[in-house]
Amino acid sequence: MTGLGDFFDDLVEDIAAVLLFTQDNSTYGHFAEADVSTVVVASDNAVDADEFVSLPLEFTDVEGRIRFGLEGALDQEFVEEGDDVLCLTQSFDENDLDTIVRIRADEFTRTGLYDLFTNSRPDADVVQDVLEVAIELGKKGQKGKPVGALFVVGDAGKVMNKSRPLSYNPFEKSHVHVGDPIVNVMLKEFSRLDGAFVISDGGKIVSAYRYLEPDAEGIDIPKGLGTRHMAAAGTTRDTNAIAVVLSESDGMVRAFKAGEIVLELDPEEY
Amino acid sequence: MTTNIADFIRQVFSAETAFTLAVGILIIGLVISYLVWRWTHRLFEQTGINDAVEGTSFERTAQGMGTSTAGIIGQILAVFVYVLTAIFAFNVAQIFDTALFWTRVTNYLPRLFIALVAIIVGLLAGEKGQLLVQERLQSIKLPEVAIIPTLVKYSIYYIAGLIALAQLGVATAALLVLLGAYAFGLVFLGGLAFKDLLAAAAAGIYLLLNEPYSIGDEVRIEGTRGIVQEMDMFVTHVETDGKEYIFPNQQILREGVVRIRE
Repeated sequence: MTGLGDFFDDLVEDIAAVLLFTQDNSTYGHFAEADVSTVVVASDNAVDADEFVSLPLEFTDVEGRIRFGLEGALDQEFVEEGDDVLCLTQSFDENDLDTIVRIRADEFTRTGLYDLFTNSRPDADVVQDVLEVAIELGKKGQKGKPVGALFVVGDAGKVMNKSRPLSYNPFEKSHVHVGDPIVNVMLKEFSRLDGAFVISDGGKIVSAYRYLEPDAEGIDIPKGLGTRHMAAAGTTRDTNAIAVVLSESDGMVRAFKAGEIVLELDPEEY
Repeated sequence: MTTNIADFIRQVFSAETAFTLAVGILIIGLVISYLVWRWTHRLFEQTGINDAVEGTSFERTAQGMGTSTAGIIGQILAVFVYVLTAIFAFNVAQIFDTALFWTRVTNYLPRLFIALVAIIVGLLAGEKGQLLVQERLQSIKLPEVAIIPTLVKYSIYYIAGLIALAQLGVATAALLVLLGAYAFGLVFLGGLAFKDLLAAAAAGIYLLLNEPYSIGDEVRIEGTRGIVQEMDMFVTHVETDGKEYIFPNQQILREGVVRIRE
């Protein structure tokens, strides 16, 4: 077994930090005393770690999860670019921690995925709620048929000011928030309507049926994406909003910030 | 009343029969008190009180003594019923001549019982109230906030103690005045402290229900022109040129809003 042991020694040599993708208390207790810094990446800071990156989504693919954890750790300056980092995470559902990855902190080009949640105008949990609604909608569709939807989140005043109604706003004088339990059903019904949903910084659904009129000149998104994505990219470039798009043609959920795609998810995997 | 019935029974039956009857009443009392004890346990089980009081310090103390809240209340009830029947039986047999003394005791017993129950309920409710408030305030990371749950607990204890003492006939006038002063202070100072928030909420209800302006409208409030970004119960956010103004709602209602349409 010396070969395996040596290999492990090489793997963990000279690492700057350990990224721990668990909130298990005993595991953290093991690492807390070690001489390298331990960054906990999880949905809750259950272990009260000093260095903690909040994971807003249950990333099913390991790469996305590590990428998010690394961006968060870099952003909060727990690790520096050029550092070697060891990630302990889980690849299969039935195990707890089963995967060790050694990676350079600047391995990925930064997509701004972490930025999308923490440094956007809308609150992080509002972004999370909208993504979950979009994923849910993508999974089930409307009566079995795929649907498309466009959510513009944050900076609602400016977005409303720069767009116009296609018809009467069904959300007028209603005070529905994206986190409310009834919302999934409601949005599913309203996703039949044309136009965009506008959601405020605090998560209030301001309007449906909204026709966005951004200037699409200079927008660079992959070919093949439709007008919905073009409108999302244009609007997020002109305002401080972010946009979450559920594509009708390929069923993917994409998030836009400042005119660029920062996140691409397949609802079927969640 | 018990004495009246006892007198009646003694008139109807002979002295020996009355004595036998008294023994019978004692046995029946035993059975009834056992049934009462059983019934309390079942009631506590069914109504979910057992789950509700679990973990409070009273329940823990009770469990330390090898019983539970249901057990203690059941026992008190059973003893109460048994003592009552015993007194009745004594009256029937006329073993004691000091009928007057026992009548007093009978009158006093229910009050003692209510006082005991008030104390127990107070202890349980106090602890539960503290836990409830504590959970609500959990998200606020401020050490000084910890005083509020304790305050709630002792307020409930105080009221329970007051009820118990009043039941026992102890003069509670001074304590009542203290409670009144405390309640007045709470309402008065609370009202003073929350004056602006209450005014803002009252205005906010009107603004949210009627939406004279809504998110996305361009408005002018007190000379500040901008786009409404967000409105809630207490404040309205108006943004202009990278500056976000936050107006309390009562101010908006008082000063009025200019909606700008072009």
